[in-house]
Amino acid sequence: MPRAPEAPPPTLPRGRAPAGTPLYVHLPFCAAKCHYCDFFSVAAEGHDRRPTVAALLAEAERWAPREPRTVFFGGGTPSLLESAELRALFDGLERVTGFRGAACEVTVECNPESLDEAKAATLLELGATRLSIGFQALDDAALKLFGRVHDAAQAFEAYRAARRAGAREINIDLIYAWPGQDLAAWRADLDRVLDLGPDHISAYNLTFEEDTAFRRWLEDGALSKPDEELELAFFEATRSRLAERGYGAYEVSNFALSGLHARHNVNYWQNGPYLGLGPSAVSKIGTARGGNVKSVGDYVRRIREQGDARVWEEAPDALARLRETWWLGLRLAEGLSAAEARARAGFDLPEDPLQPIAERLADDGLLERRGVRFALSPRGLPLADWVARKFLEG
Amino acid sequence: MDTKHIRNFCIIAHIDHGKSTLADRMLEVTGAVDKRDMRAQLLDSMDLERERGITIKASAVTIWHKKDGVRYELNLIDTPGHVDFNYEVQKALQACEGALLLVDASQGVEAQTVANAYLAVEADLTVLPVLNKLDLPHARPEVVQEEIENSIGIDAADAARVSAKSGLGVNELLDRIVDRIPAPKGEPDAPLRCLIFDAVYNEYRGIIVYLRVVDGTIKERDLIHMLGTDTVYEAIEIGRFTPTMKRAGELGPGEVGYFISNIKKLGDVRIGDTMTRHKGPKVAMLPGYRPPMHMVYADFFPTNTGDFESLREALETLSLSDSSFSFEAVTSEALGFGFRCGFLGLLHMEIVQERLEREHDIDMIQTAPTVTYKIVLKDGSEVEIHSPGQLPSPDKYEQILEPSARVTVMTPAEYIGNVMTIANDHRGTYVRQDHLSPTRVQLVYDIPLAELIYDFFDKLKSSTRGYGTLNYEISGYAESELVKLRILVNGKEVDALTSIVHKDQAEKRGRSAIKKMRKEIARHQFEIALQAAIGARIIARETISALRKDVTAKCYGGDITRKRKLLEKQKEGKRRMRQIGNVDIPQKAFLAVLGGDEEEG
Ligand SMILES: Nc1nc2c(ncn2[C@@H]2O[C@H](COP(=O)(O)OP(=O)(O)OP(=O)(O)O)[C@@H](O)[C@H]2O)c(=O)[nH]1
Ligand code: SF4
Ligand SMILES: [Mg+2]
Repeated sequence: MPRAPEAPPPTLPRGRAPAGTPLYVHLPFCAAKCHYCDFFSVAAEGHDRRPTVAALLAEAERWAPREPRTVFFGGGTPSLLESAELRALFDGLERVTGFRGAACEVTVECNPESLDEAKAATLLELGATRLSIGFQALDDAALKLFGRVHDAAQAFEAYRAARRAGAREINIDLIYAWPGQDLAAWRADLDRVLDLGPDHISAYNLTFEEDTAFRRWLEDGALSKPDEELELAFFEATRSRLAERGYGAYEVSNFALSGLHARHNVNYWQNGPYLGLGPSAVSKIGTARGGNVKSVGDYVRRIREQGDARVWEEAPDALARLRETWWLGLRLAEGLSAAEARARAGFDLPEDPLQPIAERLADDGLLERRGVRFALSPRGLPLADWVARKFLEG
Repeated sequence: MDTKHIRNFCIIAHIDHGKSTLADRMLEVTGAVDKRDMRAQLLDSMDLERERGITIKASAVTIWHKKDGVRYELNLIDTPGHVDFNYEVQKALQACEGALLLVDASQGVEAQTVANAYLAVEADLTVLPVLNKLDLPHARPEVVQEEIENSIGIDAADAARVSAKSGLGVNELLDRIVDRIPAPKGEPDAPLRCLIFDAVYNEYRGIIVYLRVVDGTIKERDLIHMLGTDTVYEAIEIGRFTPTMKRAGELGPGEVGYFISNIKKLGDVRIGDTMTRHKGPKVAMLPGYRPPMHMVYADFFPTNTGDFESLREALETLSLSDSSFSFEAVTSEALGFGFRCGFLGLLHMEIVQERLEREHDIDMIQTAPTVTYKIVLKDGSEVEIHSPGQLPSPDKYEQILEPSARVTVMTPAEYIGNVMTIANDHRGTYVRQDHLSPTRVQLVYDIPLAELIYDFFDKLKSSTRGYGTLNYEISGYAESELVKLRILVNGKEVDALTSIVHKDQAEKRGRSAIKKMRKEIARHQFEIALQAAIGARIIARETISALRKDVTAKCYGGDITRKRKLLEKQKEGKRRMRQIGNVDIPQKAFLAVLGGDEEEG
């Protein structure tokens, strides 16, 4: 069969992202590499961070949107930067984008070992509106196993320091269902975290990502994964405990007091646009997506030499975008309607091949109908990937 | 060209004995192919042939060899060695006067050495034994000569000795071909008769017909009548394979080449047909080929029910270049419309299926292969069935007859005991045993064909460390106590999973089948019950527990592409799959009723 010639796939625009586009800034340095972590980050020791900050600003001048709606400093561990480095970065970004007046949410990821009251105060002064603190576990043995460089007491202290410095919105990151974890102990840990009164909690089932020490240990048999039933029990216990305390599950692993969800992240699940700066950072503008090189040295060099560090791009066709919009959108408790999915995906063909799939999944009880919207049902939620594959296959 | 300067021969042998490599050397020493264009097994041009390292289709090529100052046209046909493709060998034999019987001198005579030699002798060809791989330190030409004489009964005392790898002896072999293989008969001025021995479909040039001229001369611009299909086409181009297609303008008696006439209608060309000149003198049809004997049948269903017509087109196109499989439309309650196909063996089935998927981009599900059964009905009439689903209920018939194969196994003597054990396990009956040499034995058994395809091939290989080889032919039909083994998925019988098994093996095979299915079917979000039943009796049950948790914990902007790829990869393995009820059943589960890699017990 001769195929119709295809138009060359659209690429990311060669210039600054449209004004308002959410902005992500990746700071790839950590005190040490955690054993489960597959984010692109390097142990900070021995790295001169100044060239990276300079490159980030140079990259921003070329690509960053003016007046981003939201900004997220992730990593890596942004709080690891010295106050002077942070100041150079934030002030520089302010000059290029004017984010301080424009963004309704500016989140900075922090780790306990590098967050004290002074650091928190600096961040807030520089424009942060929201701090996200990586607790991960309240069990010191687990923290050791994870390769974290702090203990639970330090995490609590970092939280209190942030509040003292005046942080209004704080998220706490947690990981559950790690090898050997006890369900009752997890409930108690959750209570201790809840007693702090954070505004937002991200609680993730531990995953053994490729190219991590944990994955290797799992494959070697040095670690073992809790069985599926137990993971499910953790998943459900987490949701019900948080719900009891007023934290709505607005996404598979994200919980917030009313109105305090992470707006920057919700945009990802709604398949919205974003511009990423820094090594490994990904951007999605229009219908194309692309990412930067995963190496600090290469990143700095490429930005210096050509002003651009992108090493891959993709431009999914309309149907692929629609599929993606569905499975991403269903991660949110609000779900989505077929019309919303089409609009977000920029899908304008006359026939929507995925709506019938949503209908069928609703008939099977994996999705719930809420007016014209579809959302994962309580039964469908723990099977979100199974549901996702239905949208990819159909 | 005067026929006395033409020699037509094919190379026949057991699989892997070096036929295609010998053809390489002949192309090389005669200068048909430049050294820098040379690659191993040059004539194996199909992707599947190169990937698997075996020849699947015979290929013809013309080379020129000088002997005593005279230039000879040698038409060589390289044939496949695997038993499933011996129809290709038979076709090649009819286009030749001689055959090189190649034997790997380090392995010795094997099952297809004998089988193919017999075919050549039957076709009245001059057979020249050739010992190959003389470069190998463990080559033992004297022993192998003895084996040839004992197994085939031809004189091998002065068998040619070559190394297809190094080229040793190849020039001398070409001289010997000129000396010993008779020149083709046939008069240049006699009424034209050509044998169509192969054809391929070319998108731009239409069907390319491979022919051997028997009598007369075929020229471009001639109007050609194909007698069997009764169609007339003008010869637009006539040429030879050198090995690339090279225009020749005409071909005389005894010559081998191709004919192009921009033929687009598949049905207009039939392998084995006779070509003559339109409105020329009337000629008798050439004997052509006897129809292939289909050993196994399996049903093909498109994974997308809408692709039925594309599957038909694909089968029609493929059957032009492989005339040895058959197909007819069928319906299955579980799988809808599809085709029941007959094959020469399991490898043949696999190759046809792969070619359909690759060359025609068809995605399909295939049922487990089965043999032909003859059913004697209550009224005494007899029907043949090619699918277990067709077996009527026991009150409707008197007897079931199953095909029995006469199986010849060649094995190093130390494995005799092992071979006997597996033959007995497969309901075999001992016939005979012959020693070909002190170290090599030929064992003959009668074994139900169904047992051969169940897992006899695999078992033979594993119990003889790969050295045992076999050949078989259908020797007749015999009554047997056979029952229908049904498989139920969530309480519903699936016709496409039904098989026919011997009563004494029914329970074991039923258990093993659903055990394998359990491994192949992915967990669903509900529990799946698998049952095996004979008559109304459930003999085994397995359950696939429900999937409880399957959700990516973390997915942010930087993760989306990778997570999507992961999800797609998990789905990729599901390409060849059909939904029955609401259960997704992958291809491998459909083959679970075959033996193979299951753990016993
Ligand atoms: N050492 C050595 N190896 C050889 C010789 N001839 C062939 N081989 C090797 O034997 C293997 C099989 O060779 P092929 O030419 O593909 O055998 P074939 O008879 O065409 O096999 P089928 O077409 O599949 O039946 C290859 O690995 C060759 O390289 C030889 O003279 N000496
Ligand atoms: S601190 Fe965070 S980004 Fe750094 S290695 Fe640990 S988990 Fe990964
Ligand atoms: Mg070959």
